[in-house]
Amino acid sequence: MKRTFVISVVAAALLALVPLFIQSPYALHIFILFFIVVALGESWNILGGFAGQYSVGHSAWYGIGAYGAFILLQQKNVAPWFGVWVGVAVAVIVALAVGWITFRLRGPYFVLASIAVAEIIRLLALNWKDLTNGAEGILASDLPPLKLGGTMITDWNSKTPYFYMGLLMAVFCIAVNYVVKGSKLGYYLQAIREDQDAAHSLGIPLTLYKNAALGISAACTALAGSFAAFYVGFIEPQGVFGIDVSIQMVLTCIIGGIGTVSGPIFGALVLVVLTEMLRASLAQAHLLVYGVLVVVVILVMPEGIVGFASQRLRRRKAAAA
Amino acid sequence: MTALLELRSVSRYFGGVKANQDVTFSVEPGIVLGLIGPNGAGKTTLFNCITGFYPPSKGDIFFEGARINGLSPDQVCKLGMARTWQKVRPLAKLTVLENTVVGGLCRTRSVPEAREIALQQLRVVGLEKRADVLAGGLPIGERKKLELARVLATQPRMVLLDEVMGGLNARESEEIIQLILDVKRRGLTQVVIEHDMKAIVRTCDRIVVLNSGEMLAEGAPQQVVNDPRVMAAYLGDSGGMKA
Amino acid sequence: MAVLIQSILSGVLIGGVYALTGIGLTLIFGVMRVINFAQGELVMVGMYGTFFLFSLLGVDPFLSVVVTMPAMFLLGAVLQRSLINRVLDALPQNQILLTIGMGLVLSNVAMLAFTSDYRILSTSYSSSSVPLGPIRLSTPLIYCFLITVVITAALYWFLVKTDVGHAVRATAQDRDAAQLMGVNVRNMGVLAFGLGSALAGAAGALVAPTYYIYPQVGGAFTLKAFVVVVLGGMGSIIGATLGGVLIGVAESVSGTYFGSGWKDVCVYVIFLLVLLLKPAGLLGKSRM
Repeated sequence: MKRTFVISVVAAALLALVPLFIQSPYALHIFILFFIVVALGESWNILGGFAGQYSVGHSAWYGIGAYGAFILLQQKNVAPWFGVWVGVAVAVIVALAVGWITFRLRGPYFVLASIAVAEIIRLLALNWKDLTNGAEGILASDLPPLKLGGTMITDWNSKTPYFYMGLLMAVFCIAVNYVVKGSKLGYYLQAIREDQDAAHSLGIPLTLYKNAALGISAACTALAGSFAAFYVGFIEPQGVFGIDVSIQMVLTCIIGGIGTVSGPIFGALVLVVLTEMLRASLAQAHLLVYGVLVVVVILVMPEGIVGFASQRLRRRKAAAA
Repeated sequence: MTALLELRSVSRYFGGVKANQDVTFSVEPGIVLGLIGPNGAGKTTLFNCITGFYPPSKGDIFFEGARINGLSPDQVCKLGMARTWQKVRPLAKLTVLENTVVGGLCRTRSVPEAREIALQQLRVVGLEKRADVLAGGLPIGERKKLELARVLATQPRMVLLDEVMGGLNARESEEIIQLILDVKRRGLTQVVIEHDMKAIVRTCDRIVVLNSGEMLAEGAPQQVVNDPRVMAAYLGDSGGMKA
Repeated sequence: MAVLIQSILSGVLIGGVYALTGIGLTLIFGVMRVINFAQGELVMVGMYGTFFLFSLLGVDPFLSVVVTMPAMFLLGAVLQRSLINRVLDALPQNQILLTIGMGLVLSNVAMLAFTSDYRILSTSYSSSSVPLGPIRLSTPLIYCFLITVVITAALYWFLVKTDVGHAVRATAQDRDAAQLMGVNVRNMGVLAFGLGSALAGAAGALVAPTYYIYPQVGGAFTLKAFVVVVLGGMGSIIGATLGGVLIGVAESVSGTYFGSGWKDVCVYVIFLLVLLLKPAGLLGKSRM
C-alpha cells in the first residue's frame, strides 16, 4: 500500500515535469486527452466499479457540468473555475433525483434506465434553445486569465496550463477513488456489488450508499467533463450528452480493470494510444476501436488488465506457498 | 423472562401459496432454538420475514419488545439480529478479512476498528490464517465459517443460522457444533435451522417443528424428536433427516 | 378529431415495425437471457442491404424482404456462434457490454464502408398516400404494416404449431428442463439470435423507404426496441407486439401535438415510468 503511494507520487511529479521538456503541442494534446480519459474513467469507477451499478448514461453529468460552466461564462461572464461548481451542484442534485428513482432497478434494467435518462437530458438540451442554444451549441468565449492575488498565473493561450489542469483533474479523481476504496463507503459499495441481498442483511442501507456513490461519481464526472469541454472550446448536445461519451467511460474501466483504482489509468492508456494511432486511417469511424476493444476484452479478459495481472500474481503466490 | 424474539401468529402468503401459517413462538435470551421441518416447510421463509426481506402477510414479530414488521433488512441487522444464508453468499471478490470487515462496519465508521473486530471473529471460527484469501476461492466448509464470522462481526444480540451445517462432512459439522455452543457461552441467542438431528439435539435448548408452513410441535429436544407426528412428517417426505 | 385519428393510425402502422424489432429482442432475451444492445444496428444493416438491393439491382424494398431476412438470419447465427455463445454464463453487465461493442463495430464498419452520408431510398410510391375519408395514410407505411402482419403471423405459427417452435419456447421457459427433454439448447440460441436478427433486418427493409439511412440510425431503434419490450414484458412476444403498436401511437400522437423534437422524450419518459411502476411490463416475463 505504501509502495503504491510512493510510486504514484513519483509518477505524478515526473508527469508534472513533462512540459519543461516537451513543447510539441500535439504531444501535450495527447497527454491532456489521456488525463481527461483517466479522470472520467476514475469518476465512473466509483459507481460502476465499486458499487457495480453499470451506468451507461454518465454523459448526463458530463454534459450538465459542461453546460453549467459554459452558460455561466457566456451569459454572466463567470470564470469557469467558479462556474464549474454550479454545474457540479446541478449534476449532483439531478443525479440524486435520478438515483432515488432508478436504484430500485437491478442489473440490465438499471443500465437501460441510465441510458434513457441521459437521452432525455440530451433531448432537453437540444430542445431548450433559450438556455442551451440547441443544436448550434455554445462556443466558449475567451477564458479570463487565471489570477492568484495580483499575479497572473496563465492566460490559457497554450497547451501547458491545460496540461497541468488535466493532470490535477486526473490526480484528484484517482485520489477520490483511493480514499473511497479504503473507507467504510468503499467496503459497503463493494459488498453491494458482490451480493446485494447479503449486503442488505449485514446492515447496509442499499439506496443510501448507492446514492452516495452516484453523487460522488456525478460530481467528479461533471468536474472532469467541464474541463474537457473547455479544452475543446465548444459544446453541443450530441457531443457532451451522447452515448459515446458514456461508453468511453465504461470502456476505460472495463479494459483497465473494473473496481480497481489503477485500472482506469491503464484503460485510458490503451484507449488514447490506440485511438490516436488509428485516427488517420479510421477518421470518423474511430469508435470502431472502442467496439473491437470491448468485444475482445469481454471475451478474453473481463477482469481487465489490472484484474488479469492480479489474478496471475495470486496464482503465482498460491503456487509458491 | 421477556422474550428476545417473539412471533405472534405470523403468516406469509405468496399468491395462493401459504408458506407460513399462524406461526407463534418466543425465544428467550441466551438459548439456542432449533427450527426444524421437512424441506418446503417454510423455515427459510420465516427467516426472511423476521429479518425484513418481506413483511409477514399477517401477524406480528417483536424483537426486544418492539414490533419490527416492515423494517428493512439493514434496520433489522442494526437492531441486533443477523442471519446467515442457506446457500452461502460470500462476497466473492473480497478477501476473507474484507468480508468480515463489512460485518464489523455495522457498528463503527472506523475501518481499523472494524478490522480488529473482524480479526477477532476470524480467530473464533478458525479462519484467521486464511484472512487474505479471496472468499470466492474457499471450499464450502470455510465459506460456512466465513458467513458465521461475518454475522458475528456485526455484534448482534441474536443470530439466525440457516442450515449452517448443510453440505459439510462429519468433522466440519462437529466444528460448527462447537462454534454454536461457543457462541451460546458468549451470551448470544441463536435460532438454528437444521436437518442434522444429532446436532439439533446436542445444541438446542428447545425445538420448534414446522410442516407445510404450520407449527407441528414445540418443546424440549428429546421430546420433540421422539414425537410420532414429527417422525411421520419427516418420513412421509424425503426431507434429509440424518438421525 | 381527424388529425387525432390520422395520428393514431399512422402510429399503428409504424408501430408494427417497432413491434418487429421488439419481438426480435424479446425472443433473444427469452431464449438466452441476453439483452441485445445491437438490435438497432441490425436494423441498420437491414436498411443498407435493402438500399443497395434497390439502388444497384432495382429490387423493390418491400419485395426484397424475402432476400434480406434469410441473409440477416445468417448474420445473426454467425454473431451468436462466434460471440454471444461465449458470454452466456458471464455477468449480465458483461453480456450487455459485449453487445454494445458489437453494435459499435457494426455501425462503424458501416461508416467506413458507406460514409455517414444520409441515403434516401425513394420509390415511385414513396410520397403517395391512400385516402380514407378525411384521413390520408402513407402508402409505404401501409405496405410496411401489411408485411409486418404477415411476418408476425408466420412467427406465431412457427412458435405455436411447429416442433422447433415448441423447442424454442421450452428453452425460453426453462433451459435446463428443455435440455433434459432432449432439446439442443445451443442450437436454440443460434436460432433465436438468427430469428431476432432476421426480424430486425425485416424492420430495416420495411422502414428503408421512409427513413434516412445512415450508420448511426441504429441507436434510436435499439432504445425504442427496449421501450417496446419493457412495456410489453421481457420475454413476451405478444407483449412486444402490443408494445410496439402502443409506442408507435404514443410517438405519433405526441409528435403531432408537441412537435417532433419532443416525441422521443415522450417515449423515453414512458419507458422510465414503466420501469419504475410495472417493470414486469404489461404481460410479465417468460411467457411467450
